[in-house]
Amino acid sequence: MFSGQSIVTTSEDKDQFHFKADETLKVIGLLQVFLQYCVQAGTKSRMMVKVDRLSYNFGAYWALKDISFTLGKGEFLFLTGHSGAGKTTLLRMLYGALPVNRGRASVAGFQLNNLRKRQIPQLRRKVGVVFQDFKILPKRTVFDNVAMALEVRGMPRMNLERRVRAIVRAMGLETKSYSTCERLSGGEQQRVAIARSMVANPELILADEPTGNLDFDLTMHLMDIFKQFHTYGTSVIMATHSREVLDCVPEARILHLQDGCIVTDGESSINEENEEDD
Amino acid sequence: MIGQLFRLTLRGIADFGLHPVAQLLTLVAVGMVTLLTGLIIIGLHNINVELLKSRGEVEFQVYWKADTKTEDVLKDWAVVRKLDYLKDFKTFTPENALTELATTLGETGDFSWLADNNPLPYSGLASFAVPPEAQDEGWAARLLTELKSLPGVDKVHYTPFQADLAQGWMTITRVIVWPIIGFLALIVSLVVYNTIKLSLLTRLDEVEILSLVGASPAYVRWPLLTGGFIQGVFGSALGIGLLALVHSVTAQTLNFPPFFIEIQFLPYDQLGIIAGAVTLVSMASSWVAVK
Repeated sequence: MFSGQSIVTTSEDKDQFHFKADETLKVIGLLQVFLQYCVQAGTKSRMMVKVDRLSYNFGAYWALKDISFTLGKGEFLFLTGHSGAGKTTLLRMLYGALPVNRGRASVAGFQLNNLRKRQIPQLRRKVGVVFQDFKILPKRTVFDNVAMALEVRGMPRMNLERRVRAIVRAMGLETKSYSTCERLSGGEQQRVAIARSMVANPELILADEPTGNLDFDLTMHLMDIFKQFHTYGTSVIMATHSREVLDCVPEARILHLQDGCIVTDGESSINEENEEDD
Repeated sequence: MIGQLFRLTLRGIADFGLHPVAQLLTLVAVGMVTLLTGLIIIGLHNINVELLKSRGEVEFQVYWKADTKTEDVLKDWAVVRKLDYLKDFKTFTPENALTELATTLGETGDFSWLADNNPLPYSGLASFAVPPEAQDEGWAARLLTELKSLPGVDKVHYTPFQADLAQGWMTITRVIVWPIIGFLALIVSLVVYNTIKLSLLTRLDEVEILSLVGASPAYVRWPLLTGGFIQGVFGSALGIGLLALVHSVTAQTLNFPPFFIEIQFLPYDQLGIIAGAVTLVSMASSWVAVK
């Protein structure tokens, strides 16, 4: 994937974001160390997500229609589909940003139907969320942005610093720890966002087109990072409509949505569908 | 827990540096609202003070019984002169009273034919100036009773105009002025709330991100509450400072005949109430604004 040549992420990042394959390997190696450091004890249930006849409407428009699926612990699931298929709505429901009124859903042991307002922060501490537009604070440093996820949990400062430094190093951002995020390239900003979502070692990562704003090489690099986390038992649901991304995790399950309905659930079907698209 | 609270408070303070212009404008708006409130209250306070001053000024015309002996009248006069807050006590013997009456009436007032059979009693005009702090309820009635209870006194007249005027002011204050102040307070709350809410719009991304990473509502709100507190404290301090400046410039503007009114600054307790109310409104606005 990286053959030693210098990779430029975007034209505007030319001066600030160059990395090489050996650097990627170093990142992945450090990531492994980090993950070994924070591997969690097994959960009581093997089921991470259970969705049963879930529907959601925005007024007269039904974004999700009667969908059902389950996700086991440690499973990697791609959500695919065209814009408006319901991918983002589903993800938003899974992290408690939209209420579950029709159908049933549970995530990491939380019943979303009966979820009280005060339970939402507890749910989100078990779920890491990554967005296409990063959602980081540009005027805060890399360290502050990542530390935020641990600070809200009330983690003692010493542990927090150790953990943040470890994942920042694992993401290859150690030299920029105290740079404000507005000075980083798009790829670096997305790595900050991923670091923030993963630093607390969540049981589930929900990623909504996390590589949508990145070029091919950087996409591959970030997918390696996601795969590493997955390897160590973290469940992942990633919304994407990029074939390159799907190809990165061939063992992943693929759930294809269309007009709010699941049209295919499985690896082979989506590959066929992708071929048709091509 | 305490450490986290401390860190969040520090963050609330440090966050002022993130959007300095928005924070400064909010601070000025809060200061201006405080100044406006202070000016209204200072006006009401000075009207109240002036009325309380004149309210305590009351005159009693006291008439002694016609058959009272001179020495008994003199004893009563001595008692009157010892009464608290007596400003002036003019006394009239029947002869003095007749002369005074004749002088007042001028040419038509020749009462020399009455000199041997003077029908006028001993009388006195007692003027009191009761300070506002001694004007508890029924003070005028108590003075009246006290004068009436003197052994030789026949009747006492007094004009209750000043007392009634003050009473009327108190009634107006209760019925109209306080609702107006309440209404102004509501406007202040809305202005501060909206100003702080507008400044919070610049921080919605932060609130959203904190919420996404599992921050509790209290965790999200604490730095904003700190910000609201600081806005309230510094904004009200700015407003009160400007109020003092305005007062120093205008204090003597009514101090000329016939008013002789020196505009008084607000007492410390009222300044404290204004600052406290603005700070509380700012904090409450910050709390509610992120709902």
